[in-house]
Amino acid sequence: MILRTIAFNTFGTFLRDKILIVVAILFTCGLGLMMTPLLGAKAMAGMGNVAQAQALVLEIVSIILIFTSGFGSLLAAWAAADSVATEMKSGTILAVMARPVKRWQFLLGKFFGVMLLMSTYIAMMFVLSYLLALIGGEKIHSAPWVLVLYPLVRYSIYAALAMALVTVMHPFVAWGITTGVALVILMVEPTGRPVTNVGWRWIKNIVYTILPSSGLLSEERFLTIKDASLKHTSWLDHATTLAYGLDYALVLLLLAMWSFHSKSLRRD
Amino acid sequence: MTPAIEFDGVTKVYRRRLAGQEVPALTHVSFSVNEGEVCAFLGPNGAGKTTSISILMGFQPADWGQARVLGLEPGDVRAKKKIGFVPENFAFYKHLNALKLLQFHAALAGVPKESIAPRTADLLNKVKLTGYEKLKIGKYSRGMVQRLGIAQALLGDPQLLIMDEPTSGLDPAGRKEVRDLMFALKAEGKTIFLSSHILSEVEQICDKAIIINRGRLVREGAMQNLLASGDKAEVLADRLPAELEPQLQEWGAAVEQTPHGVRITVPLERKRELAELLWAAGADVISLHPLKNSLEDLYMQLVGSENPS
Repeated sequence: MILRTIAFNTFGTFLRDKILIVVAILFTCGLGLMMTPLLGAKAMAGMGNVAQAQALVLEIVSIILIFTSGFGSLLAAWAAADSVATEMKSGTILAVMARPVKRWQFLLGKFFGVMLLMSTYIAMMFVLSYLLALIGGEKIHSAPWVLVLYPLVRYSIYAALAMALVTVMHPFVAWGITTGVALVILMVEPTGRPVTNVGWRWIKNIVYTILPSSGLLSEERFLTIKDASLKHTSWLDHATTLAYGLDYALVLLLLAMWSFHSKSLRRD
Repeated sequence: MTPAIEFDGVTKVYRRRLAGQEVPALTHVSFSVNEGEVCAFLGPNGAGKTTSISILMGFQPADWGQARVLGLEPGDVRAKKKIGFVPENFAFYKHLNALKLLQFHAALAGVPKESIAPRTADLLNKVKLTGYEKLKIGKYSRGMVQRLGIAQALLGDPQLLIMDEPTSGLDPAGRKEVRDLMFALKAEGKTIFLSSHILSEVEQICDKAIIINRGRLVREGAMQNLLASGDKAEVLADRLPAELEPQLQEWGAAVEQTPHGVRITVPLERKRELAELLWAAGADVISLHPLKNSLEDLYMQLVGSENPS
C-alpha cells in the first residue's frame, strides 16, 4: 500500500513536471524532424531506384530506434535523480517521512514511480517501433515482450544507478555521472575490430566486466527489421540475460537504500 | 510512566566538509516531556530547535546521547504511527488539491480505506478548509497551507503532536483557531510539543516550557513555576497624596500617571503598607495585585541579552 501510494504519487508528479514536459516536447520535435527524411526516402522509393531508397528508409528507421532507446536511458537517470532530489529540495520529504514509512520503502516507492514513467515511455516506443516498421515496409522480427522487457531492465539499471548517486550528490551531477557511465559502457562494448593496444584492451575488459553490458541488454539484439533470419535465443538465454540486468539494478538499488538510510533528511 | 519525549545528553555537530568547520547545533541537551503535557520549545532562531525536532522525528541522528520518542528510537515506524508532525513551512505537492493530499497522507498513515473519506472531510472542516478542498494547493494562501499542514498531522489520530511553528503565517483569527484546536487536543489528553516564537500564545496553552539557546538547554520547568510571582506589586490609586511622595521615593517605588489613576509599583512586601497609607491619606485604592513575570520577560532575561537583534 505504501509503495503503491508513493509510486503513483511520483508518477503523477512526473506527468506535471515542467522540465519533463519541455523535454518531451523537444524529443517529439526531434522525432518529427527525423520523420521528414524518412518520409522523403519513402516517397523516393516510388520514383525509381527502389532498392537504394528502401535501404535508406531502413537506415533512418534504425537511427530513430537507437535515438529513442538511448533517450530512454537518459530519461530514466534524470527521473530517478530528480524524484528524490525534488522531495529534498521542496521539503515534502519531511511530511512523508514523518509517516510510518521506512526509508527503503520511500526509495523503492520512488523507484517504482520512475519505472511507471519508463513503462509509459516503453509503451510509446513499442508503438513507434511498429509504426516505423510499417513505414519501412518491413516486419519486426522479434517477440513483442522482448521489446518491452529488455528496455525495462536496462532502464531500471540506469534509474537505480542515478538513485544511488543522488543520495550522496547533487542531482545534476548524479545524472551526469550516469550519462557518463552509459557512454563508457558503449565505448567498452566489444566490437568486431580487434584492440591492438594491450593496456587499452586490459582496461576495456575490466570496465566491460564491471559495468552492465548495454549490448547484452539491448532489445536491438532481437529487434531487426532488416534481416528475417534472427538467431534463435532460448528461454534460458533470455532468463539469464534478464537476471544479469536485474541483478545489477538490484545491487544498485540496495546501495541506494543503504546510502539513503543514513542520510540526514532536511530541506536543501 | 515512560516519557513521551526524552533527550538524554543529545549532541549534534554539523560538519562543513569543504570548509573543514564544525558547527555545534546541540550540546548535551537533556529534557523530557511526559504524556499528556503540552510543552513549549523555545529559543531564538538558530538555537537548535529544528535540529532537535529533526532528531526526534528520526530525520537525522544525534552524534552523541540518546533520544527516545514514546519509548522508542526516533524514526521507528511504531512510534511514527502515533505521531503527528507539522513541519515549519509545510511543503506540499503543488499538483495536488487538499483532498488528494490528505488522501495521500492518510494512505501512508495506514488509515483504513473506508475511514479516509469521513476523516479527511472532518479534518478539513476542523481547519476551516471545507469548500477549498478541490482547489490546487499552489493557489492557497500561506495561512491555508499551514492549516492544511495541521490537518495532515491529525490524520492518524496521533498520541503525540510535534509542531514546528504551527501558527507562522496565520492571521490573528487563524492563530486563534489553531489555539482553540490545541486546547481541544489538550483536553483530549494528547501530548503536544510546540516550537513557537509567539510567547503570549505559548503562555496560554502550555503546561511546560523548555528554553534552549545556542544549542544548550537554558531552562526547563512547569509554566506555573517559570511564571511564579515576581517580587513587586502594583497598586492603582485614584490619586497620589503629596505627603506620600518622600516615602515612595525611599522604597524605590515607580509612579506612573495613567488615564485610570496613578499606578504605583512597589516591592511586594510593601503592598499592604502602601494601601494603608493611601487610605489614611484619603486616596482610594482601585486595584492591587502582585506582578507576575511574563514568559516574554523570562525569555528575554535568559536569551535576549545574548542574542541582540
